[in-house]
Amino acid sequence: MVGILESADKIAPVKGDRFKPVAFFQRYGREIGLPVIVVALTALFAANSEVFFSLANFRNIGVSAAALAAVSFGQAFAILTAGLDLSVGSTVALVSIVGAIVMRDYGVPAGMIASLATGAGVGLVNGIVITRFKVFPFIATLAMMSIVSGLALSLSGGVAVTGVPASFADLAYELVLGVPVPVIIALMVLLVAFLVLQYTLLGRRIYAVGGNEEAARLSGIQIGAVKVAAYVFSGMCAAVGSIILTARVASGQPSLGTTLPLESVAAVVLGGISLFGGRGSVIGVAFGVLFVSILSNGLNLLNVPSYTQMMVIGGALILAVALDQAFMGSRVSRSG
Amino acid sequence: MSAAFRSAATPASASDRDQPPFVVLNNLQKDYPGVRALGGVSMDLRRGEVHALVGENGAGKSTLIRVLSGDVRPDGGTLSVGGETVVFAGPMDARKHGIVTIFQELMIVPELSVAENIFLGNEPESFGLFYSRRRAERMAADILETLVKGIGIRPSQRAGSLSTAQKQLIEIARALVLRAPVLVMDEPTAALSENEAVALRRLIVRLRSEGTSILYVSHRLDEIMEIADRVTVLRGGERIATSDIEAITNTSELLGLMIGRPIAQLFPPRNEDLGEVVFSVSSLTRQGAFENISFNVRAGEVVGFAGLVGAGRTEVMRAIFGADVLDSGEIRKSGRVITIHSPRDAIASGIAYLPEDRKDHGLVLSMSGVENLVMASLERSGFAGLVSWKAVGRSARSVAEKLHFTGQLDAMAGTASGGNQQKLVIGKWVLTQADILIFDEPTRGIDVGAKAEVYRLIHRLASEGAAVILVSSELPELMNVCHRIYAMSGGRIWDEIPQEEFDEQRILAGAFVAHMAAKPTAFHAGAA
Repeated sequence: MVGILESADKIAPVKGDRFKPVAFFQRYGREIGLPVIVVALTALFAANSEVFFSLANFRNIGVSAAALAAVSFGQAFAILTAGLDLSVGSTVALVSIVGAIVMRDYGVPAGMIASLATGAGVGLVNGIVITRFKVFPFIATLAMMSIVSGLALSLSGGVAVTGVPASFADLAYELVLGVPVPVIIALMVLLVAFLVLQYTLLGRRIYAVGGNEEAARLSGIQIGAVKVAAYVFSGMCAAVGSIILTARVASGQPSLGTTLPLESVAAVVLGGISLFGGRGSVIGVAFGVLFVSILSNGLNLLNVPSYTQMMVIGGALILAVALDQAFMGSRVSRSG
Repeated sequence: MSAAFRSAATPASASDRDQPPFVVLNNLQKDYPGVRALGGVSMDLRRGEVHALVGENGAGKSTLIRVLSGDVRPDGGTLSVGGETVVFAGPMDARKHGIVTIFQELMIVPELSVAENIFLGNEPESFGLFYSRRRAERMAADILETLVKGIGIRPSQRAGSLSTAQKQLIEIARALVLRAPVLVMDEPTAALSENEAVALRRLIVRLRSEGTSILYVSHRLDEIMEIADRVTVLRGGERIATSDIEAITNTSELLGLMIGRPIAQLFPPRNEDLGEVVFSVSSLTRQGAFENISFNVRAGEVVGFAGLVGAGRTEVMRAIFGADVLDSGEIRKSGRVITIHSPRDAIASGIAYLPEDRKDHGLVLSMSGVENLVMASLERSGFAGLVSWKAVGRSARSVAEKLHFTGQLDAMAGTASGGNQQKLVIGKWVLTQADILIFDEPTRGIDVGAKAEVYRLIHRLASEGAAVILVSSELPELMNVCHRIYAMSGGRIWDEIPQEEFDEQRILAGAFVAHMAAKPTAFHAGAA
């Protein structure tokens, strides 16, 4: 059996490694589309608003995008397994309460650890409910959204937790080399997510499970473990998002993050990750987040009412999924 | 009454030779980015004729079929049906013009019943309003009975519970309901066992005598020699030849035309260096699927499993591999009893299983060839949970080279040809360095060249000391590749046939036992 592999090093790269424009576009077309749209959107707002194209406003966009970004990178993991995590919003709220209480009583580092542990805990429960009890991700995380939200409200008694150390709250507005700390945190999450997906067994297995669960199982991949890990990662990312938001409002808020389930799914799907799982990258998601954030910032500056903005974001999501469907259709008929 | 009248009035095939052809394809062209799929192909189809279309994968057969089915619009050339030039707006339009295509890709709605699938979009009604389930199921039963007797498909059964072959039969039944004058069949027998294929060929002959024109695509050349009136050979998007079947002396001549060079040898010689029994199972039972299965395989040996669809061969192999649960029985490797609860356990024990359904169970079509190749052995290409893409690429390329993989390794597996997809699945298991390899229908739907390579590879694995189990519905394949054959029927092994005693009749007898009235006692291989 070993014989068939013995001359492994002598083999020259096959010709498939050469750059092929057509194949490149088929594979990365959607990933290129969004950055182009983001740049176009930026140009559009810059032409219509004097304030938009300024360093101060870009920092603004960055800070407001940071929490959504962290949450969306986690959401991407869940969706890549052909799942979904609707509990990210209430996880942000619960983590905010738990983190603020622990921080107030035991200091900032303990609060951070408690925050991440809480996020991981919610993700673990999500993962177990989905894999052990075979509850569809949509239902499981929808139910968890309610459970976790109730937990956050009863822990806090429905009011904000104050007394968060000032050193923590300042984080949200500090600059390192001119870049706001939340942006740096979000970029770190992006880097971790990218490295995990690209260079770890877990990451590649997430793609395999999402792409074809049965083939993955017959290849010896432990499907349950892979999915649980994806939801735990999603929960931890929500915790990071919560830390950023909690610092910004300098208190634990039980109502934090209510718009995040929709916005994170929108960012992920706009970013080119297929809702059917197994396809797309977190780099695309980063652009999805930029798109959502720049859109709402620009509409704000143009004095478009926030109610109208909600409609615009919902419309963009439907458009993205419609495009995804059209793309899936052509992909299926092309094979064979 | 009216149906009988119609078929009686239709001219028989013998008198049709002088009539103008019913369907004419004139200089059809189709380019895909970077590929010329059809470079001006002309051919025609007469009434009441079986016209075979052959060629290697990539020869343009699929594109031609898709043009005929209205799925693809040609870049140039014309198509006429019954003397009238047509341009199909889509698949429904092609049907309206009387051309019905039975695709290899199964289009079955798994949640609907067999009867509902057969009549999908064409449901029989009661009082012009209600869907009559009873009537639909009765009609479905009639059609299934004509198609293949005693295959055990109930019209009320959920279509999702059927095997690939049974789904294929449903697909054919669906086309029969439409009573189309032109049937296009894309490898209808690829998923069928020998006996089902025989029944289908009989049906085709009957349809021909009723005046139906059939364009028949198949890789089984003996089949074509048997039922076709004419044959057209495509190669590289060009028509190489069209000939009356009487003018072709044997299948090798056809092969030569298809490949453009004489083919050396389809089946390599058997490995003669057999070792000890390295793998054996005894009294394996899974309720409702198979019982009391015992067999063994020696190192370097290729052991075949013959049987009809539904005989339980795939079920046995899946259970051995840990994909399904075993109720009882014992599995031994190199004399030691091993416990397998999941595919992961099986892989750790050096067992590999190549599923019969490449696309659904074998590959992640949305991932690259490289990633599919290393899917079951990813731990080896790195450490501490990290993936080394350099190591991955190296092992993937080396195995791809050995298997003569001719596609693009970096492209999505879904875009590779059938033969190349099968090579990816084989390569995946070669990379796990398994020494017990279970091949479930490894040559289904792949062209002759790729088949020869699969056989060569099985031979090579066996020569290197692997124990190979080959589940196949093609008797010639089993008889030319295997050292021993077990015949299964109705979830049991009925016969064990050593190479010296290979005999088509005897193998078929074993495969048919459960379908006969008087049943002999089951054979026990592990009894000794």
